[in-house]
Amino acid sequence: MNPAISTDIAAQLIALLAVLMLVVQLLLVVQRMLLTSIRLFAVQSMFLAGIAAVVAFFHGAMHVYIVAGLTFIGKVMFLPWLLDRQVRRMRIGQEIEPLVNFPTSMLTCGGLTLLGYIVARPFTSLERLGNNTLAVAITLVLTGIFLMFNRRKAITQVLALLTVENGVMLAAVALTTYGMPLVVELGIFFDVLVAVMVLAILVYRIRESFDSMDVGKLTQLKG
Amino acid sequence: MLLAALLLVPAAAGLACLPLRSHRLMAALVVATFGTTLALGVGLLHAVLARGVVTEFHEFLSADALSAWMVLLISIVSLATSLYAGRYFERDLAAGSVTPGRVREFYVLTPLFAASMFLVVLVNSVGVMWFAVETTALTSVLLVALYNRQTSLEAAWKYIILGSLGLALALFGSVFLYAAAVGPHATGRLPSFNWSHLMTIADQLDPRLVRLAFVLALVGYGTKAGLAPMHTWLPDAHSEAPSPTSAMLSGVSLKVALYALLRFHVLSTACLGTAFSRDLLLGFGLFSMFLAAPFILVQRNLKRMLAYSSLEHVGLICTGIGLNTPVTIFGALLHMGYHALTKPVLFFAAGNIHQTYHTLDFRRIGPGLGKTLPVTALLFGLAAVAAAGLPPFGLFYSELTVISGGIAAHRTGISILMLVALIASFCGILQQLTRILLGAPATNRPLASRPGEGVPAMALLLGSLLIFSLWLPASVQKLLHQAAGIIGGGA
Repeated sequence: MNPAISTDIAAQLIALLAVLMLVVQLLLVVQRMLLTSIRLFAVQSMFLAGIAAVVAFFHGAMHVYIVAGLTFIGKVMFLPWLLDRQVRRMRIGQEIEPLVNFPTSMLTCGGLTLLGYIVARPFTSLERLGNNTLAVAITLVLTGIFLMFNRRKAITQVLALLTVENGVMLAAVALTTYGMPLVVELGIFFDVLVAVMVLAILVYRIRESFDSMDVGKLTQLKG
Repeated sequence: MLLAALLLVPAAAGLACLPLRSHRLMAALVVATFGTTLALGVGLLHAVLARGVVTEFHEFLSADALSAWMVLLISIVSLATSLYAGRYFERDLAAGSVTPGRVREFYVLTPLFAASMFLVVLVNSVGVMWFAVETTALTSVLLVALYNRQTSLEAAWKYIILGSLGLALALFGSVFLYAAAVGPHATGRLPSFNWSHLMTIADQLDPRLVRLAFVLALVGYGTKAGLAPMHTWLPDAHSEAPSPTSAMLSGVSLKVALYALLRFHVLSTACLGTAFSRDLLLGFGLFSMFLAAPFILVQRNLKRMLAYSSLEHVGLICTGIGLNTPVTIFGALLHMGYHALTKPVLFFAAGNIHQTYHTLDFRRIGPGLGKTLPVTALLFGLAAVAAAGLPPFGLFYSELTVISGGIAAHRTGISILMLVALIASFCGILQQLTRILLGAPATNRPLASRPGEGVPAMALLLGSLLIFSLWLPASVQKLLHQAAGIIGGGA
């Protein structure tokens, strides 16, 4: 294949997958069911792994295949499985009760997307891959933070944190082509896994001791 | 092998505690570990003074004067903590407030916590440093939740959620820094993501990206360092953790996060000139100092008051670095050291008080601590006088250095602001403590049996504080001047 054309295809694929990540993020914002939210996160991570695989294939970078594989194993399979099991085992109520209602959250996220594009504007010349991927990454981080403050259930806060992390990893691919050095990627991967396991332990203990997973009840410490 | 040993010894000790059954053995092992790291730290001090920078494994690990100083602080606070922890948990076990399993958790996680802090200050790669800071959060959060009370779970949850969010932003900052570093390389491949390499190409980095990276690092690592307004997890975590853990969180963990931020500050100074990051540090530092003072004045919980006092001191250190003259940076670094020797004593004493009275509320502890727990009260009073910044203790000298350095640099307004905040918290601490230290104890109060008070740990710290306040060894002074030169190098 002509290298110029193949880079072009890669750029379009990456832009497409990045936008799909954003679409899934917005679906997460208006999702009512906990188990579906976990699956949506798995789908979003799958698109991220897809981006890494595209980069690895079209740019001939072997170590990015490892990143893609780890993302797939860790974030598409293991973490959703872990959270899913926890939800089922603890018989957590399915309904997510957001603090802000869905239309308002949707509007807020629309505004945050706009903000993401404005913030990314001066840096578009620095993007090495795809169009708008940096803007999508910043939007993922912003909406992830919003999601975190808009959710009461402990597990949904963990999911929101993970989407923020997805956004950061997308930015790493968008800005640098090959992502960070492998040792750093491995470190990040390891930390995210351990973080979710630690969070799962805490969720379990909170559930035991409060008989609820509503972090809105964690209000005894003040001043 | 000095640097590798500093990482491996505590990590191995933590893992070695897993199969052990006797708590006494675990305590002895951990004490021996931190004794060893302290000795290694002193060795590192001399190596750094002799050679400037010590590197190992193709510069994967690298220590300069600033790292060596942090290594010494981490070692001494961890040593005192492990000395104190043995007695503390024996009493907790006797009172039934923890299970043996949880005590083992403490002895496994504490050395790992220390090892990850050593990794933060010794590693050369920006990305691995982020990994290490995140690991300090992950190893300490279960320690915060050790008592498994509702309040401690709440504190741990806030700590890990806010900390992880902050660190995600710090990772974002590291990504931008990486993008800036890749920029000058046409191939898109960077030879290394090391601080030492980045410093050599600092003038070729895209200034817009570096600015963005610094702001994200400031918010991210600032959250972990407890800078206001990202500090909200700090009083909760410090008051709910067991006292030995509070001592480590407050004594060194805050400063280790600050160290990560300082590395960004040094690079951003080399790339953008000093004004940008300096003014941000100054602003956040002063804001933290002013936010802490009123909370100290009205606080009802002893350990929360101590946590806010830590916020005040971190703010002072940040302000001193933000003033960016050799004198103020020297003062700020010295302040780090003296604070690390003082604050754990206060938390240890608070631990004794908590175990005796089963409360940390000033009103319920009431007057007469001096009669009930004379030794604790004496050491507590001395450490509080030191933390409030009175002579002959070193904090007086380091605070004075920062303030007078500010005046000498024609930043009189800032010096006066600092003085106001310091006086407010000074009044707060002394007023609160006179309420409980002096007077006659209320009678007819059921108290736990008079305990062993963990005096060796407190005496070790207070003794070295007093010695180093009066006589700072020439080698340490030289190290601090070198470290100050690294931070203020671009000025």
